[in-house]
Amino acid sequence: MGDVSDRIGRPTDNGQIGIIDPDCRLIGLHLYDGLFKVIPFDNKGQLKEAFNIRLEELQVLDIKFLYGCSKPTIVVLYQDNKDARHVKTYEVALKDKDFVEGPWSQNNLDNGANLLIPVPPPLCGVIIIGEETIVYCSANAFKAIPIRPSITRAYGRVDADGSRYLLGDHTGLLHLLVITHEKERVTGLKIELLGETSIASTISYLDNAFVYIGSSYGDSQLVKLNLQPDAKGSYVEVLERYVNLGPIVDFCVVDLERQGQGQVVTCSGAYKDGSLRIVRNGIGINEQASVELQGIKGMWSLRSSTDDPFDTFLVVSFISETRILAMNIEDELEETEIEGFCSQVQTLFCHDAVFNQLVQVTSSSVRLVNSTSRELRNEWNARPGYSINVATANATQVLLATGGGHLVYLEIGDGVLTEVKLAQLEYEISCLDINPIGENSNYSQLAAVGMWTDISVRIFSLPDLNLITKEPLGGEIIPRSVLLCVFEGISYLLCALGDGHLLNFLLNTSTGELADRKKVSLGTQPITLRTFSSKNTTHVFAASDRPTVIYSSNKKLLYSNVNLKEVSHMCPFNSAAFPDSLAIAKEGELTIGTIDDIQKLHIRSIPLGEHVRRICHQEQSRTFAICSLKLNQSSTEDSETHYIRLLDDQTFEFISTYQLDTFEYACSILSCSFSDDSNVYYCAGTAYVLPEENEPTKGRILVFIVEDGKLQLIAEKETKGSVYSLNAFNGKLLAGINQKIQLYKWMLREDGTRELQSECGHHGHILALYVQTRGDFIVVGDLMKSISLLIYKHEEGAIEERARDYNANWMSAVEILDDDIYLGAENNFNLFTVRKNSEGATDEERGRLEVAGEYHLGEFVNRFRHGSLVMRLPDSDVGQIPTVIFGTVNGVIGVIASLPHEQYLFLEKLQSNLRKVIKGVGGLSHEQWRSFNNEKKVVDARNFLDGDLIESFLDLNRSKMDEVSKAMNVTVEELCKRVEELTRLH
Amino acid sequence: MWKEIGDRERGILRPKSFTTRIKSNRIRTLQISNHKDIVSPHRASINSLQVDLTEGRYLLSGAADASAAVYDVQRATDYEGGGLIAKHKCLFVVDKQHEHGHKYAISSAIWYPVDTGLFITGSHDHHINVWDTNTTQVVMNFKMPGKVYRTAMSSLATSHMLIAAGTEDVQVRLCDIASGAFSHTLSGHRDGVMTVEWSTSSEWVLVTGGCDGAIRFWDIRRAGCFLVLDQSHSQLGRRPTIPEHSSTNKALTSKSLSSGQNLNAKLRAQQRKLANGNGTKQSPVGRMPAKGTLRQRLHPGMLSSLDRATAHYGAVTGLKATEDGMYLLSAGSDSRLRLWDVESGCNTLVNFETVRLQAGKPIQLATSQDSALVFVPCMTAVKAFDVWSGNTSQTFRGHYEYVNSCWFSSQEQELYTGGNDKQILVWSPSRLIADEVDEGPAQDRDNWSD
Repeated sequence: MGDVSDRIGRPTDNGQIGIIDPDCRLIGLHLYDGLFKVIPFDNKGQLKEAFNIRLEELQVLDIKFLYGCSKPTIVVLYQDNKDARHVKTYEVALKDKDFVEGPWSQNNLDNGANLLIPVPPPLCGVIIIGEETIVYCSANAFKAIPIRPSITRAYGRVDADGSRYLLGDHTGLLHLLVITHEKERVTGLKIELLGETSIASTISYLDNAFVYIGSSYGDSQLVKLNLQPDAKGSYVEVLERYVNLGPIVDFCVVDLERQGQGQVVTCSGAYKDGSLRIVRNGIGINEQASVELQGIKGMWSLRSSTDDPFDTFLVVSFISETRILAMNIEDELEETEIEGFCSQVQTLFCHDAVFNQLVQVTSSSVRLVNSTSRELRNEWNARPGYSINVATANATQVLLATGGGHLVYLEIGDGVLTEVKLAQLEYEISCLDINPIGENSNYSQLAAVGMWTDISVRIFSLPDLNLITKEPLGGEIIPRSVLLCVFEGISYLLCALGDGHLLNFLLNTSTGELADRKKVSLGTQPITLRTFSSKNTTHVFAASDRPTVIYSSNKKLLYSNVNLKEVSHMCPFNSAAFPDSLAIAKEGELTIGTIDDIQKLHIRSIPLGEHVRRICHQEQSRTFAICSLKLNQSSTEDSETHYIRLLDDQTFEFISTYQLDTFEYACSILSCSFSDDSNVYYCAGTAYVLPEENEPTKGRILVFIVEDGKLQLIAEKETKGSVYSLNAFNGKLLAGINQKIQLYKWMLREDGTRELQSECGHHGHILALYVQTRGDFIVVGDLMKSISLLIYKHEEGAIEERARDYNANWMSAVEILDDDIYLGAENNFNLFTVRKNSEGATDEERGRLEVAGEYHLGEFVNRFRHGSLVMRLPDSDVGQIPTVIFGTVNGVIGVIASLPHEQYLFLEKLQSNLRKVIKGVGGLSHEQWRSFNNEKKVVDARNFLDGDLIESFLDLNRSKMDEVSKAMNVTVEELCKRVEELTRLH
Repeated sequence: MWKEIGDRERGILRPKSFTTRIKSNRIRTLQISNHKDIVSPHRASINSLQVDLTEGRYLLSGAADASAAVYDVQRATDYEGGGLIAKHKCLFVVDKQHEHGHKYAISSAIWYPVDTGLFITGSHDHHINVWDTNTTQVVMNFKMPGKVYRTAMSSLATSHMLIAAGTEDVQVRLCDIASGAFSHTLSGHRDGVMTVEWSTSSEWVLVTGGCDGAIRFWDIRRAGCFLVLDQSHSQLGRRPTIPEHSSTNKALTSKSLSSGQNLNAKLRAQQRKLANGNGTKQSPVGRMPAKGTLRQRLHPGMLSSLDRATAHYGAVTGLKATEDGMYLLSAGSDSRLRLWDVESGCNTLVNFETVRLQAGKPIQLATSQDSALVFVPCMTAVKAFDVWSGNTSQTFRGHYEYVNSCWFSSQEQELYTGGNDKQILVWSPSRLIADEVDEGPAQDRDNWSD
């Protein structure tokens, strides 16, 4: 391993180039203007000492090695001082460590020439891709063809002999370029349009007409090239898409379902691949089979014999019938019959019972059926007039409730049902459960019962039905489902209410006492609770309008969304063909599917076909407003049209659009309200970007109200520059306009209309690009002058600078973490925090924002937002840790959590120990990678931790864990617990 | 600007290209600042200007009235013109009244490169003073054999703290702050040394320009100088061509020939020397051209006595190494500005459109960060030249008398110039002041309606 960085030379502007000689004689690197670094290979493939060769061409656009040359030869595409583009060839003389003039050169190419494609033998030579022409060039041939103006972004070679290439352009069109040749003599070029893909960054021809299109502006795709065009004339068939969130230009964190779990809605993709992506943390269901079935009222799976490991039957109950599905020999689900079951009525409950029996409870009777012969063996009938309302059962017990508040307890014997006990309760029973949670997995000693009228949940002992505990739930919502369950050895009683709330209690199994009551909201509709197991762990599925999986980690209950809209019923269905599956009843459909790992991000795409730049959500109108632009391509000129659009936050459909003027760009959008006005408005900031102006000198602030789902322009205010940012500030509007921060108040005019009036401002910035506020404080992220802190003085009605970071950071995003700490992201992929120093002794100290933390993220951050992707439970420690989400150009979504000091110190120690144990890719040092690094300095990261590294502790094998544990002097269990706590932050 | 920001956001424009583009756009609009004013306390011509290298915040000026002053260029001391014009008064001055102050003109005032705790002044009173910034006391003093013309410290140095001093004397002395003594005496020049400059690629390499017209390169770890620039030593010709060079596409290049073949090659250095491999092996001897001329094969130490090559006719008055360490710019009393390729020592023959340069005293040149422009005091004006073509890109007229020094702050893209008219002028990217005036308080605005 070696370092190829140099002291001399200026890093290239056009990006680094690394190429390998086709005959594997050397690696060529173009890292600095004017230098070409050569790393020779010896014949054993060992790298030898690198050296630089002076390259006279300063503005290098592309360098490639030529095929079929006796000495390694490069071809250089460059631009001269007069902006003309040329290619030149050089032979690399390894012995002399210098270039020798190459076999040919070609001057004055297409002004947009930007890509070289070396052609392999036997043809050799190079293809030069321009914006208007494509040229084939070699020592003895020159062929050119004109093309429709386009910027080619990527190419992929189809044939090994290099006679066909796929070219992807900036609008996502895929072309095939063919070199026609007679033997080894090139006779011409041909180009043909194949069709449209995502805007390609890379094209890899796989085989048999399959092509992988890698895109950084949209989803990557696997496409098939057909021999015949389809109806639209396209030869391209997209087979699969691979989600790419990048570039995330902006995003907002919203809680659309209003249940405490944030979702991120990103502005992703560029140009035609622009889209909104809704990123949610939740559990996915992988659908394996589904069938249309309306009106499912309940579902249970049954085994054909007691010791069969797999389920055979799926009992599906409807309002006036019960149907039974079973796996046949071909592993298909088909309808069957269990003769002993009553199929003309709704089934209330079903269960496997001991002695190869099945239990069915209907409103009139309990039937015991032989599971192999499927014959009825015994039946218990409810007393006439007292129909069964709710029932539950396990392998040996049945508990049911009939009208009149009767609670009946039956026990199952071999072919007999015995009524053991009947209890008369004062109110009707709404739900009950006897899931065995004791040592005997077939027999429960406790029964949980939910009651109407007094809204309580009660614990009875079995078999004598003595009341042990009565827990009033409070409120007016009746319990709809109760469940006794065990997570990680701890017994719980879960009780779901009709309004989507869930209560959980710790249950003392010996005394039946309930303790430690907690309440969370899962949805808005009644919940049905069911246990299921996945990966040998028991979880609880709460079916409702917001289906949720309840699980336990580190002896804490956690709740994670299931990515399904509405689930009415769920039962585990572990058949041979669909092992570990769930049967799920939802919206007229029965689905069988497996469940994902817990805590997985779920991403939904809303393709818009135009480039989205800003987004914000308005709670009151339940809408999103976006700033977007559309590229209008005409033969003569490309122009852009900019829009402010209103979207419904559920359907994500455009419901209203405001088109901006020609040359007017939308730069910022905000939902806010003003003092003395109860309405909520959308404010948009724009700029007139005129071709002749270097910097916009005119813009507008537009104030919209949403009325009847339409954007209505209420007021507009002309500004003397581009409105880069908008913030709600003390009931007023704070705008960042070019180098100025300007505060506007919302004034009522005599005629009752309203207008924005400027109140005060602050200048002294280069460009006030990013602004955040908290109370009277304003934090400004400047184009190139780092972060400054301003304060608004109410009495004087003025904004003054309080402090500033004097480092020259070119900012890309800022956020306020708390009163004193501000977070910034800068141009060299670093993050840093600065601290307000209000206790400083001198003006100079107070006027300086002190750098508190520095860290190299390696990603270009476009936006920070407060929020979290996980459901925040008020009772958890993790819920107290504030987090900020960021989105980057590469499509990364990350979380920055402000840890308490004690935890930080502990984890920092853990991180430094992990660095010794975990080796980075290629042996690169983690410490070095995370060092804050810009043109001026490189300093070790501080006050930032790499969560990914720390969490990788959990993936270590035991011996390495022990090693870390020993170095830390903390037990492995404790370490695991602390790291797992951390994982729950995201 | 909004377009660039948008392109950076979606990853089309690399962050690095973004900063380069914005900076060069801003530099193109440099004009005398309408919002920043440095109040010069000096009562004689200003000879030296430097902004500190650590924070880019404190400007140090040295003047002929034996005074030196420090200004905060980022934080104004007060405002004028309704808060729009920031006045930067000096934070402190040291002058003749100071008990250890210089008696005669300060010719050079530089910051200690590592932090702003020290600064160094060189004066015509034969002394170099090292000052503690916080106490404004002299902490060290070097007595030189003659008038001090220029002092320099290496911004790269990690293993030495040497002040290189060019004086009336033929010898260049290196003053060691660590020991308080002279550590080196470099002999070779035949006349006084007006300008000294450390290499921007190696902490051991010093470049000096003398009144004898010579520019000498010294590796301070070795005896003698290892390179003397020769103005007649220019292009070494093109890289050797392959003999069986096929007449490539003659017919097709007819168009290109008419428009001048490869202008780039004409304008840029034509050398065939290899650059060295890794930055760690920056020994200048190792960087000697592999196929150099006979002269360069001699023992490097012998060069100093034998080589009488000149870089300029007359005195070398200013030197500036480009930030990438690959080129050196020199100004001479022959009113020429030359661009040298450091690797090969070749004169690149770029023809800078200088008309006249001051001849009698050292001038201080500045380059923009990407080395695209060089700022040169040309009598009463300062001119910005394109480094690769030599064309004048901008002319800054504002001083009433000769300009002696300029400093370009790449952090703020501001140019500071000082001249015989005792003024320090700030040239900054144009800012639309007008709009800030009329966006004043609401009451003095008419009722603008939609």
